[in-house]
Amino acid sequence: MDTVTRRKFLQLTAGTSIGAAAAFLSIDDIAAAASSRPLASGTPILVIVTLYGGNDGLNTVIPFKDPIYYSSRPDISYKQESVLQLDSQYGLNPSMTGIANLWKDGKVAIVRGAGYPSPDRSHFSSMAKWQSGSPKTLSKSGWIGRWIDSQPDDPMLAISLGSVLPPLLAGEKKVGSALPLGGLVIPQGTVGADFRKLSLPSTADSKLRSLAANSMKDLFNISEKITPILKKPEPTEVELPTINGGNAGGDSNLTQQLNIVSKLIQADAPTRVWSVSLGGFDTHANEANAQSILLGSVSSAIDKFMSGLKSSKHGADVVVLVYSEFGRRVVGNASKGTDHGTSGPMFIIGDRIKGGFYGDQPSLSKLVDGDLSVTTDFRDVYASLIEDVLKSPADRYLNNWKGRTKFYKAR
Amino acid sequence: VDINRLETARLFHRFGFGPRPGEFVNAVNAGVSATREKLFANSGTDSGLTNIPQLVLADLGKRPSPNDPQRASYSSEIRRQNNELTTWWLDRMVLADFSLQEKATWFWHGHWATSIKKLNFALPMYKQHQTLQKYALGNFDQMVSAMLDDGALQFWLDGQENTAKSPNENLARELMELFTLGVGRYSEADVKELSRALTGVQVARSSGEVTFKKSRFDEGTKSILGVSQNFDRTSAGKFLVSQPNSKRFITERFWYRYMSSQFPLPANTNIEGAFESREIRELLLALASSDAMKDTRYELVKSPVEWFVAVCRALNIMPSNLSKNSALLNFLNKLAQVPFDPPNVGGWPTDDAWLSSASAQFRASFATWLVAQGDLSPIENLTPGERVQKTADLLGVVEWSDRTKSALEGNVKNSKRLILLAICSPEYLVSA
Repeated sequence: MDTVTRRKFLQLTAGTSIGAAAAFLSIDDIAAAASSRPLASGTPILVIVTLYGGNDGLNTVIPFKDPIYYSSRPDISYKQESVLQLDSQYGLNPSMTGIANLWKDGKVAIVRGAGYPSPDRSHFSSMAKWQSGSPKTLSKSGWIGRWIDSQPDDPMLAISLGSVLPPLLAGEKKVGSALPLGGLVIPQGTVGADFRKLSLPSTADSKLRSLAANSMKDLFNISEKITPILKKPEPTEVELPTINGGNAGGDSNLTQQLNIVSKLIQADAPTRVWSVSLGGFDTHANEANAQSILLGSVSSAIDKFMSGLKSSKHGADVVVLVYSEFGRRVVGNASKGTDHGTSGPMFIIGDRIKGGFYGDQPSLSKLVDGDLSVTTDFRDVYASLIEDVLKSPADRYLNNWKGRTKFYKAR
Repeated sequence: VDINRLETARLFHRFGFGPRPGEFVNAVNAGVSATREKLFANSGTDSGLTNIPQLVLADLGKRPSPNDPQRASYSSEIRRQNNELTTWWLDRMVLADFSLQEKATWFWHGHWATSIKKLNFALPMYKQHQTLQKYALGNFDQMVSAMLDDGALQFWLDGQENTAKSPNENLARELMELFTLGVGRYSEADVKELSRALTGVQVARSSGEVTFKKSRFDEGTKSILGVSQNFDRTSAGKFLVSQPNSKRFITERFWYRYMSSQFPLPANTNIEGAFESREIRELLLALASSDAMKDTRYELVKSPVEWFVAVCRALNIMPSNLSKNSALLNFLNKLAQVPFDPPNVGGWPTDDAWLSSASAQFRASFATWLVAQGDLSPIENLTPGERVQKTADLLGVVEWSDRTKSALEGNVKNSKRLILLAICSPEYLVSA
């Protein structure tokens, strides 16, 4: 299934929409930019992996010594001997062998109990909070979008895979770009020239009409330089469950998305932020198998991505962030699944990351309304990523947020 | 801007699926109120639909086990039924005379946003469509009751897993957040209590048949939005619909999809008042008669399906007659909008989400494919000098910008190219 299903979550609640004008680009632009102004090696690159649907954190980083974990979810818990042990108390989901190996190499930071105050259990509201980076007074712009606003105009700066842009990359004035999955077919010859005319700006254009014209402008002059890179064979994707958990958005082919990102990074694309996604985590029923397959896919896709970049000069510069809009309820429901919960783990992976645990594990004996407490505000993580990876002052993008999580190794 | 043309174009493109050849000019001449009256007139039977082949959907029952030789044919029958159902609806959208109802049904599908990807079977989706069709312009209270008995919706949101012993909150949450009240207009405790009221439903997935099992139902008192009683799904649904917030919310949703996703429903509008009785037709009529119809700020991007159906109506194309059904569904899939397959329970996005360069590319190939199969005679029969303006009239475009006019004027001798460019133009893509 190659349907592009990433959604503009902010638009889903009435009256909210992204205020900024979208300026999309095509592969030719990346190709041209990669050859004319290649990214200097040593420039950090942030790759954001969004898991849509609400990933069950307790079955991702598993507290296998905690009897309450086992008594809370008798049907869907993992036994100590099956988990991939990280230390004497916590282990990864058995499917996450790739990330477990990266952990052994000291490249994985796990931030436990990540969330925000007064958790919202709506997929759309909660994802909007995570993506806006402004959980209290919901902002129409995304946390990366506001950073884009402050940077010089450059459509290559932040790119999302798929044809629909996530709110994460929408600023107040500017937005990131979207790169479609699959090859481009460009109108050629005289019809191409005519389409080009349609894409010209017109003084009569309203906001949306000028966006429509712009979307055509980017189709042309496709470069031969990048097409061969994208045509290299794609890794095969495990078949993901579509029966359960899929009603909260996200794309379905993370391996393919990360494969394209990897190739473009290797081609020296001057892109500082990449956004990819995987949907299907809304596991209200029959969770164990579905979540395990999904986490296995996340883990192997990231593992392949990191090892594919090893030989590249940018390999050491890449930082991967993995998060979801919420964790799930501690106690399983009778459908062998879990309902919407609160906090969950975030993963930050890369050569420049100091591996280990950050933040306290929320206590299973001190639940808040049956849910995990939030022990680390996600803005701590965002702020550190903005400062350490994007090399920008975080305060202005996160409303003077003071917290930080020190997982980054200065070189 | 010619306000008469603007309002007429909005009536056609937003309250229906776009004009057929000749309709727009006639309507401009007849005036806005006559056009609106005609749009809202229901003759009872829709003669436009008589040419659509009867849909045959059988209950396929349980999937054969992996080593059963029947399994392959079972799977291909599922695919056939699903594709047939999708194409059947597209046919309806294009051929219906009573476009108001067809468009409202499409709105409600995006509202209750149930996906065949989880159901897997066409039959329950078809049954849901029948319900949405039936109440599309009817009473919202009755629609909510019927939808809570709908197998596809129940299965989509795990209603069959929601029991007295262990409630599953999925349906309860979305019922309040996305279907009746809007986010933030209830508490987390309300979600938990409502999920108890919705217990007891079981669904046969392949048929969508819903049965109520008393032993799974929570008989206790539930306290929802401050009212305590032994709610069940019907009484809880009615209770939610009776809330002033449901009047507000549904008005907001129609505003969002029919008028503007960029600007919120104005605070001092009387549109909402028309929904006091929860009669959907009244709400739509109020919206279509409001001053907002004259306000040029309220532009709206045609979603891929809306764009496709409008092109088919203008070029006299019947979707099921297009040269290759798989190609049609593939184009819609590439543009990220296939009927019966919304991306998530929030429905499809709007406006700039459809305006990526990736979409532009797929739209250009799709348009080329469609124009090659369309009836271009309304333009071909004209002298080249008339063609640019008459193409605006054919398509129901308010006016061309100088940019687009210049691109079109270079192609007045080539009707095919002219129409191709016109349907890909910003002025057509965006409903002014």
